[in-house]
Amino acid sequence: MKKIIAMLLALAMVLSLAACGGAPAAKADGEVAVFWYTFGDTYLSSVRAAMNEAFAAAGVKYQDYDANNSQTTQTEQIQTAITKGASALVVNIVDASSDDATQAILDMAKNANLPIVFFNRSVSEAIVSSYDKAAYVGTDYTMAGHMQGKMIGDYVLANYDALDLNADGSISYVMFKGQEGNMEADARTQFGVEDADAVLTAAGKPALVFYDEANAAKYLLDQNGAWSAAQGQEHMQTLLSKYNVDNGNMVELVIANNDDMALGAISALQAAGFNTEGKTYIPVFGVDATDAAKEKIADKSMTGTIKQDAVGMANAVVLIAQNFKDGKPAFEGVTGDLEGTWRINIPYAPYTGE
Amino acid sequence: MSELKVKKPSKIDELKAMTPKDRNRAIGDLIMNNAMFIIIAIAVVGIAIAEPSFLSVPSIVNIISLTAAKLPIALGVGGCIILAGTDISAGRQVGLAACIAAGLQLTTNKLFPGLPVMPWYVALLAVMAVGAVVGFVNGFCMAKFKLHPFIVTLSTQLIVYGCILLFLKLGTNAGQTLSGMSQTYQDLIKGTLFRVGNTAVPNYVLYSAIITVIVWVIWNKTTFGKNMYAVGSNEEAANVSGVNVTKTIILVFVMAGVLYAITGFMDASRISSVNATTGLNYESDAIAACVIGGISFVGGIGKVSGAIIGVLLLQVIFTGLTYLSVDQNLLFIVKGVIILVACAIDMRKYLVRK
Repeated sequence: MKKIIAMLLALAMVLSLAACGGAPAAKADGEVAVFWYTFGDTYLSSVRAAMNEAFAAAGVKYQDYDANNSQTTQTEQIQTAITKGASALVVNIVDASSDDATQAILDMAKNANLPIVFFNRSVSEAIVSSYDKAAYVGTDYTMAGHMQGKMIGDYVLANYDALDLNADGSISYVMFKGQEGNMEADARTQFGVEDADAVLTAAGKPALVFYDEANAAKYLLDQNGAWSAAQGQEHMQTLLSKYNVDNGNMVELVIANNDDMALGAISALQAAGFNTEGKTYIPVFGVDATDAAKEKIADKSMTGTIKQDAVGMANAVVLIAQNFKDGKPAFEGVTGDLEGTWRINIPYAPYTGE
Repeated sequence: MSELKVKKPSKIDELKAMTPKDRNRAIGDLIMNNAMFIIIAIAVVGIAIAEPSFLSVPSIVNIISLTAAKLPIALGVGGCIILAGTDISAGRQVGLAACIAAGLQLTTNKLFPGLPVMPWYVALLAVMAVGAVVGFVNGFCMAKFKLHPFIVTLSTQLIVYGCILLFLKLGTNAGQTLSGMSQTYQDLIKGTLFRVGNTAVPNYVLYSAIITVIVWVIWNKTTFGKNMYAVGSNEEAANVSGVNVTKTIILVFVMAGVLYAITGFMDASRISSVNATTGLNYESDAIAACVIGGISFVGGIGKVSGAIIGVLLLQVIFTGLTYLSVDQNLLFIVKGVIILVACAIDMRKYLVRK
């Protein structure tokens, strides 16, 4: 009995090892090691799918690693991958605010003379520029907020009177923030409103008004910092119990830092009798253009979102890794907005339906 | 406790007959034993004075429905705590159940292309079965290998999370958020039970109430329930008096797994958008709620009403602080303080009994 259990356990371990990573278990020469801050992120999952496809199409062996949101785990994974004999490192760094973590990882790559491509989560220019085989593929983190703000401003202006449910002359809004201490969340929270206000005031309309005068922060926060639909739903349901049509203070516009929170808010709105066919429509805006959000936009329960180009980002990373390998200039043939000699930005695009 | 009584004097007569010192102590005990009710009452009154709309019908319905949504998971964890254990895999189990429930209810299914929408009871039975299996693994490892519940559920938490990630990568989904579930399923959970004035009370409040009654009966009126308390307060003694300890532990965790599954089944529809973050950190709120409600980590102590009070108190605080427009970050501090105070009171009761 004990022997059988031991055998089964051993077998299970071998199988689970073989099952790790999407690539055929290589003999450890020449594979590209890709480090993800977490497999749990919806947007990065679509980048991962696209990147796996692009590597496979280019005939490059690769291995995905999940740091599960821990910088320690990631740094150790990189160390191990180098020992194993990776040919290039692709890093979606966990601790985007720590230069030390970036520096430590870059030093490891430098010592092993391996090319390293950072992507998606931001790293400092000074560090990346200090090594000729390093590059960064990112986005201009303020751009999504600016685009969302512009989109909201245009939409509100075009539908002003219909949106002003209580006819008080101004539009009240709620903002869902995904996380504290995240530059993207900060920028989206700020510019999503500021830029909308700029459009409105330029047309002679009053600026947007946060639904709750007493809330000085002017946003509601995901308590877990996870940008989750669950918190979007809970906040929206709670605020609807106080701010609604009966009380004449209904929130007239919903802005969220990402699509998941927007979807949660839509669920609460629909449960309260909004945003279904023939019912009062509260515009809801998100960021990411996830498939789920696109479906909501198609069935007219959501208004708009900002598309992060997952495929574009994945292709850029793969191409840069190839360029390094072939000894070509890093950014040769890569599409995006070049910034200096160290980074390339993949542009966002507004999305309001096909 | 068991003095001889000639006639049963009323509480007030008893108080009058006491010396001032005893009277003070009796009043002190009374306050301590009902501390949570008093805290809830103070919180409600305080918030209502500052913000009268807190006691409006929509607000009360909101608090009740959010409490109902979180009650089953708290009851599941509660059983594990009564066994002098804990269950930190609860949140991820809710997430897995939500993913599977959503996966079987998608109108255009990207996980299982071509799969039609399953009847809701198939989805419910499927998630309950999965929950029961995970619960069985938890209970079995604990009872047979004498492992600490924290270790076992830490392991299953990771395993379940891995399963969630793999599940979301099935078909062409590539880790994306699941959304767009069948209308029958949506109506089943979110449909209107009845209306209070203009405010709809959702169906899941009823389901949660039914589940609570069932759990109450199991805990209080069955041999299994009595065995659970016996094992929790003293495993050795229970064993000697003929209780099947292994079976009891396994059954408690199976029941917990089923309750998490039901929570997930309701959450998938309630939030209408499910991804890898669904269920994240749910266990910490559930454990906190149980502890606040007097379900003691000492083991063998705790009531269904305690879990209800705990969940309700956390919800009142969350909603109340939102109504008062308090800085969102303060919520963590308030929660922490409440848990500490509650545990201190709880321990004091236990020490007195000893």
